Amino acid sequence: MAVKKWKLKKGANCYNCGDATIHDIEVDEFDIKIRCRDCGFSRYYSFHMVDLPRKCDVD
Amino acid sequence: MNALADAGITGFYILEYKGMSPQDWKGFSIKEDPKSAIGLIKDYATDAVLVCSVVDEEKTDEIVESVMQALEGEKYTILEVPIRRIIVSHSDYEKERAETWLLEKEVPCFYCGENSVQRIRIDTSKAKIWCTNCGAARYYLIKGVEKEGR
Repeated sequence: MAVKKWKLKKGANCYNCGDATIHDIEVDEFDIKIRCRDCGFSRYYSFHMVDLPRKCDVD
Repeated sequence: MNALADAGITGFYILEYKGMSPQDWKGFSIKEDPKSAIGLIKDYATDAVLVCSVVDEEKTDEIVESVMQALEGEKYTILEVPIRRIIVSHSDYEKERAETWLLEKEVPCFYCGENSVQRIRIDTSKAKIWCTNCGAARYYLIKGVEKEGR
């Protein structure tokens, strides 16, 4: 099933500027992007692996 | 731990200890000195684990039910205690601690298709997204950073 891009927000201390700011988080099947609204510092994550339950665990 | 995490806790701590139930020491008569008391504990007490977590009140019933299912057949005690105040001092660790984020989004799972809460945990080097219904998880690794936004 294709995953629609999620757009989330998180208030946290920025790793770069250190201020308590809002971070925009975009998630899709392949990437996660996090961007500080204040200083623009961004972190990018790429898909690594998937761990699926056994079929009998899913109704 | 899996049952607690699935039920919605975000943190916990564990204490290992030795304990005795009243029925275990019933009938014992020991000398009133520390050596005898410690000796009794070493010889007769059983290993036990105390798991503590602070959770939202509305999640309590779900967590208790989940733990009871996971520990079916085991001996355990559940204590539910209201918290009146919490004071946390992060000291110098605040910046590091702030780097593990927990988020939730309720959408259809990519694997089971059920509309359920998807938990997202992000730290400085990796991220994990998992379905609270089926457990299917996706893992991401840091690819890079960019100082200035586009």
